[in-house]
Amino acid sequence: MSTLEDELHRLMGEETARLRAAPDLVDRVVRSTRRRHRTKRIGFTALVAAAAFAAAAVPAYLVLGPDSVAVPEPAVSGPAPASETSRPEATDEAAPEPPAIDDTIPAPSPTRDLGDLGDGKAFKSLRVGYLPKRLQWSHWSLDFGDKYTTSWNYDGDSNGFYCVQIYVHEGQAVQEVDERVQGYRDEGEGAEVAVGDRTGYLVRQGVGEDGGDGTPTLVLSVGEGRRVEVMFSPDYAKDLGGAEAVDRELKKIGENLTAAD
Amino acid sequence: MNAAEDDGFAAFVAARATSLLRVAYLSCGDEGEAEDLLQTALERAYRNWDRVRYDNPEPYVRRIIVNAAINRARRRAILRMIPMHTPPEPSARETDVDLRHVLMETLRALPPRQRAVVVLRYWEDLSETQTAEVLGCSTGTVKSQASKALAKLRAAIGGESAEGVIRNVHA
Repeated sequence: MSTLEDELHRLMGEETARLRAAPDLVDRVVRSTRRRHRTKRIGFTALVAAAAFAAAAVPAYLVLGPDSVAVPEPAVSGPAPASETSRPEATDEAAPEPPAIDDTIPAPSPTRDLGDLGDGKAFKSLRVGYLPKRLQWSHWSLDFGDKYTTSWNYDGDSNGFYCVQIYVHEGQAVQEVDERVQGYRDEGEGAEVAVGDRTGYLVRQGVGEDGGDGTPTLVLSVGEGRRVEVMFSPDYAKDLGGAEAVDRELKKIGENLTAAD
Repeated sequence: MNAAEDDGFAAFVAARATSLLRVAYLSCGDEGEAEDLLQTALERAYRNWDRVRYDNPEPYVRRIIVNAAINRARRRAILRMIPMHTPPEPSARETDVDLRHVLMETLRALPPRQRAVVVLRYWEDLSETQTAEVLGCSTGTVKSQASKALAKLRAAIGGESAEGVIRNVHA
């Protein structure tokens, strides 16, 4: 690196050295997200406690992150006391109780999978009538109760990358996905589509604000209390050869979704 | 999101939020906006944590931050013509603080994508390939944008003798 680049790095370091992430950032992010979809308060106290607990994991994370970049200052100086993480004025929700000193973080409940799905084309309430050629069920699935998912890829390897993934959102989870779609709508990302006699929303999720690939996604309303989210991995989308083909395949999958029950 | 995922998200934020805030600040040039960019990016990551967590989430969040900063700057530019910053007179830079001021002002005045390239290449130390991945462009674009940005930064701190100016500051 030449002198100018070295100097740039040093000066940017000096310029940003005073900056520290707010100690209640996790709190803010979680509140902001949950305020929108109004999920239960259960688990929040554990998360605040986890934020404190997480500070101890900072060095490990810094070491373990494969793409972590060294920074001139430690990331966060220490855990925020629970009292500092409460911002009751920032929300209309009741402030969570700070964890008592002898609170123990509840053990996470194991996430269930959907079992052996055979070819994977029927899972819980959904039947997938069409998938592009060459795809096999990945032998991977997750069941969170009000949302569940499985995927398909080229080799059927549960540790492999997904090509197509489908989430079904029901109950409380519907509100989350609806609000997410509304967010895209508000930002002018994606478009309403008609898929057979259903309405849907086509969008590149996640990234792509400046030309990044993102995840081509079709969110489809399949009744008042159910949404289906069909996603193509960015790599698979490239394999399909262009946005038109991607959208066509997403819609075709959507058109052929039926109730399994 | 279950408790284990919450723990993972909290650990990630505790470990990397300050670093990401600095990226956000350098990308947009404004502290308040940087905090907003970071929070927005983390909200997206949190909503998608069950997918994001399987990979290293930091590049995912960084990518959102940098691209959102570019997008916002472009939207602002469409809405109103931003007066270009005029680099201070080159002769006045006798101290390190002056030099930093000049470079930061010039950095802020760069077109959004050029600024992002500088931040990713020379602050985050990403390779040209990694930078191209973040920005969703070719490595050729990264090279040309970096070259243009460095030329402007050199010019701002004294034309062709930029390295000499830097050496003199430290002399």
